[in-house]
Amino acid sequence: MTSMVLSALVATSFGLQQTDLRQRLVDRGAAPEFAQQVAQVVAGARTSGLPVEPLTDKAFEGLAKGYTAERILPVVQLLADRLRAGRTAAVSAGLTQPSGRIVAAAAEALGRGMERTEVVDVLRAAPGPDAASVGLTVAASLVAQGIASRDATRAVATAYREGRSAQELLELPSVTSSWFAEGVTLPEVVKRIHEGQALPFPPGRAAGRGVVPGLRPGTGPPIAPPGKTGTKPNRP
Amino acid sequence: MGDSRKFSPAGQQYLDGHPGPESLDPTERAGADRLLRAVEAYAAGLRRPGPELDAAVMRRLRDEGATPSSSWWSWLVAPHIVRVRPAVLALAASLALVAWWTTSGPRAPSGAGAAETVLVRFQLAAPDAHDVSVSGSFNAWSAPGIALRRSVVPGLWVVTLPLPVGEHQYLFRVDGIQWVADPGAHAQVDDGFGRTNSVLVVGPRGVFGP
Repeated sequence: MTSMVLSALVATSFGLQQTDLRQRLVDRGAAPEFAQQVAQVVAGARTSGLPVEPLTDKAFEGLAKGYTAERILPVVQLLADRLRAGRTAAVSAGLTQPSGRIVAAAAEALGRGMERTEVVDVLRAAPGPDAASVGLTVAASLVAQGIASRDATRAVATAYREGRSAQELLELPSVTSSWFAEGVTLPEVVKRIHEGQALPFPPGRAAGRGVVPGLRPGTGPPIAPPGKTGTKPNRP
Repeated sequence: MGDSRKFSPAGQQYLDGHPGPESLDPTERAGADRLLRAVEAYAAGLRRPGPELDAAVMRRLRDEGATPSSSWWSWLVAPHIVRVRPAVLALAASLALVAWWTTSGPRAPSGAGAAETVLVRFQLAAPDAHDVSVSGSFNAWSAPGIALRRSVVPGLWVVTLPLPVGEHQYLFRVDGIQWVADPGAHAQVDDGFGRTNSVLVVGPRGVFGP
């Protein structure tokens, strides 16, 4: 009797999740057939122990941007494949049951051009599961900022081995961005990172008061935030 | 009961049993006496309700008076003894927790190990825009997004959002039709659809500017 109740509860929960996802997709303008296809991809990922939130978010993103179902579905499927690769990398780093966050971060890092061995290096250097996902995220962000994946991997792994915390590493992209904004060249930024100049951090604004300058698309250099001077180039 | 004539005030008092019979006109008194006899005769024919009436009324109230919803409510609020295996109860609670966690609550950013949240200010210079919003991984790319408001600086649109530490991907949306990257973001990354998303990595101290 108990097993029947358990089975019913699990099946009901799974079914509700699937129904809920399909309904959420339809609510955002997806055709029912497309919603069903996405739900199948998500169900397969869940069965494989992969995090499904990146998949649903990518489908939502595609719908928000107005892409067709034919365009969105391959992207979601590709992301599912990348999540599998991320999970494989995490397992090869010695994590038998990697968390969804680690798998998602590993997938994102692979998607930005990091090698599987580099992902493994970061995971092995991290002092814990939370630090592992943060380390991958920071390394992937540095790569997105133009830093070579080997340099980004080295920077994160070295910081962890020197006892830096995940919270400290999370500020590394901001520091790097500030250097680029000041006109520091990419080689010099890499040199500063390797020399540990990014940690401890230069004085920044108070917590919760970060400012992200914006720019009207297609127009000159970004304006400075109110009360600030200077400009911040978008990318090095 | 066919006597419909009106009685004088003295006659009405007589009917109520107060005045003496000598104060009434004999004709009116005769009419009042007939009326009193008729009432007594009618009352004598009435049967005094017994305890079976109370039981019948309460039975009807239970069977017919209560609506289905109130019956459910009564069942729900009434105490019952329910036998549940602790393992089943624990599993049901776990499933409920998982369902709640996966469908609600703030969107955890990629790589966020802690649930720390800081305020991050987004801004976009768009002098010709009529409205600007921002959508991203922090709100599951929901439309129409989070509206920016006009700043005191002409042409500048701003909004300050509480974001968990970690990485967030997002874009601005101008006039509801044009997706615009944030040139002040930490980076721009491939969105998988052939375009780019802006990326911010929010640290415990927020986001550094130039």
